[in-house]
Amino acid sequence: MSRAQYVIVGAGPAGLNAVESIRAQDRQADIKLVSVEPAYARMALPYYLSGRIERAHLLTADPAYYDRHGVEPLVGQRAVSLDTGSRQLRLSDGQVLAYDKLLLAPGSSPTVPPIPGRELPGVHTFWTLDDADRVIQAAVSQPEALMVGAGFVGLIVLSAMLKAGWRLHVTEMLPQVLPRMLDRAAASLVSDWLRARGVQVHTETQVIAIQETPSGRKRVLMESGSQIEVDVVIVATGVRPNVDLAQAAGLQVESGILVNEYLQTSDRNVYAAGDAAQGPDRLGGPRAVHAIQPTATDHGRLAGANMAGQSVAYPGSLSMNILDVMGLHCVSIGRWDARGLESSTAADHSRALYRRLVWEEDRLVGAVLVGPSPDLALVNDIGMAKGMIQAQVHLGAWRRYIESNPWDLRRPFTAARVTELLLNEPAILGPSRPRIYRFRDLQVESEFRPTHSQLLRARPEALVPPIPAPPLR
Amino acid sequence: MRKVLKIVPELCTGCALCELACSWVQVGAFDLKASVIKVHHFGEQLRFAPYTCLQCDEAWCMTACPTAAITIDPDTEAKVVLEQACLGCSLCGLACPYGTIFYHPGRQVAIKCDLCRGDPACARFCPTNAVQYVPGDSPQDWIGAWAEANNVAFLRMWADLERRAET
Repeated sequence: MSRAQYVIVGAGPAGLNAVESIRAQDRQADIKLVSVEPAYARMALPYYLSGRIERAHLLTADPAYYDRHGVEPLVGQRAVSLDTGSRQLRLSDGQVLAYDKLLLAPGSSPTVPPIPGRELPGVHTFWTLDDADRVIQAAVSQPEALMVGAGFVGLIVLSAMLKAGWRLHVTEMLPQVLPRMLDRAAASLVSDWLRARGVQVHTETQVIAIQETPSGRKRVLMESGSQIEVDVVIVATGVRPNVDLAQAAGLQVESGILVNEYLQTSDRNVYAAGDAAQGPDRLGGPRAVHAIQPTATDHGRLAGANMAGQSVAYPGSLSMNILDVMGLHCVSIGRWDARGLESSTAADHSRALYRRLVWEEDRLVGAVLVGPSPDLALVNDIGMAKGMIQAQVHLGAWRRYIESNPWDLRRPFTAARVTELLLNEPAILGPSRPRIYRFRDLQVESEFRPTHSQLLRARPEALVPPIPAPPLR
Repeated sequence: MRKVLKIVPELCTGCALCELACSWVQVGAFDLKASVIKVHHFGEQLRFAPYTCLQCDEAWCMTACPTAAITIDPDTEAKVVLEQACLGCSLCGLACPYGTIFYHPGRQVAIKCDLCRGDPACARFCPTNAVQYVPGDSPQDWIGAWAEANNVAFLRMWADLERRAET
C-alpha cells in the first residue's frame, strides 16, 4: 500500500498541531505543510513589539522541527485553488499537490475599512510578523500612535505600545471599547484605566481620512470634526476568516468553513480548523467561529487524529478571551453578552473590580470578569468561572449564594464538586505530551530552586513525623 | 512510582504554613498571594482545605499555551512552566478549569505547582499532614466531597438569613 498523502494549509497552531497528531499515528505518511508565512505564534507579536521577547522567540517551527516531524514545508506558497473531485490543490508557484486528506487552516485576515489615506506609509495593520516588523521599524523614539479600533487586537497591541513608552490615542466607532468582548460597564472601567495611564480614548467616532503632513506625520480627520496628529496609525478594526479557497471549491461556508464534530467539511476528505473553521459549540449553540488560540489547537490536534484514521468527536469550543490591559485583566467567557438570559453583576469601582455572571436556570453559562492582575489573576477565579461554565454544573442553591457573593467563587466551586465533574469528563484526545517546539532546547530544571534549598536548610526534617489520617466521619 | 499531592482536609488547621513555604519557593518572600497552593477558608465553621494543581492528564494549560511553554517534568510528571518561553499572556489561566495556574504580575509569567521538582515544600512544612506527597496514580478531587458535606448546613443557614433579611 502506498503512503498516505496529507496536505495541510496553514502553519499556525491548528496546522502544527495537526502535523503532530498525524505523525503520532502514522510514521510513514507523506505530510506537506503549505504556508504563506513562516510558522510563528501570533499571540506573541505584541510581546515582540513591547520588547519583552526577541524576534526568534516568536518562531514556532524551524527546519529542525520539520525534520523531526518528517514534514515537507512549502513556506511562501499560497494555496490558490482546490479541486475536491480529483483531490488536488494548486499552489501559487503552479505546482499541484495530490492529497488523500487535506486540512484547511488558513486563519483569518484583518479587514481595513476604505479610509482615504489608508495606503500611506506609516499606516499599518498589526496582524502578521511582517506587520510587526514594519511597525517596529517605523517607531521613531517615543512615537505617538493612533489605534483605529478598540477591539481585542487593538487593545493588546496598544498595551504593548504603552509598555514600550509610546504616546497613544485610540478611536472606536461604537460607544464603548472592546464591544465584542465586554459589556458596557466593564468597558467603562477599561476606558478609565487607559485614561489614567495617559491614553486618549475616543469612542463613538470614525476616522474619515488620513493625510500626510509636510514633516511626514499623519493627520487623522475624525467624523466629529476633530483632528489628531501622530507618527503611526494602526488599523485594527477586525478580522475575517479566510474562506475564499473553500468557497470557490464549493465547500459549505457560512461565517467560516462549516465542519462537523470530526472537523470534517462538507467534503469528507477535507477538514478545516482554527480561525477559518465554523465548528461545534461547547454550550450547545449553533456552530460558530471561535477565533482563539485554544480552539485552533484543539481543532488542529483532533482534525489530525481524524485525518489519520481515528474517529474522535470534538465536544465543541468555548468562546473565551483574556486580555491584560496594562495590569487590568479582562475576561469574558461563553455567553457573556447575556442575550436573552438572566445575569447578575457586581462592581467595586474604587478597586477596578467588576463581574457579570450569566445564568441559565442553575447553571453558569457566561461571565465577564475584570480586575487588576493581583486581585484577579493571582486568585484565579477566572479559571474557576471557566470550569463551572465548561462543566455546566447544576449549582442548585449555590446560584443564589453566588448572586449575593459574586467575589466568592471558591466555596461554590469546591462544594458543588466541580473538580470531580471535570475530572470525569471524557478526554478530548488523551494525556498531554510535551510539545517539541522551537524551544526544544529548554529543559525542566532538575535542580531544586535556590529558594527551595534555602527552606530545606532552615528545616531539613519534616515538621512532624507522618501521622495517619483519622477515619472520615 | 508517580507521586501526588494528597490533601486531607480533615487535618487542615488553616495555619497557612503550606502557603508561606510555597510562596518562598516561588518568589523568595513570605507573600501569601504568590503561593500556588491556596487554603480555602470556610471560616464560620473553622474548616479549611488546601487546594492546588492536580496535575491533570490532558492538561488544559498545555493545550492553550501559544509557545508550548508548559511541559512535563520527566521525573515527577508535574506540568511545569518554562519561564523563558512564557509570554505571560494568561491564556493558561483562563483555560485551566480548576483555577490552579496563576499569572505573576511582577515576573510577568504564569506560575503553577511544579511539585518542587519532587520535594514539595507545602507537604514538608505542613505540621498536621493535611498535605502529603504520596504514591498515587491519577488526579482526584481531594476536597469536593468534604466541602459539600461541610457546606450543607452553611448553605441552609445562609439561605435562612437571606430570607429573614428580605422579610
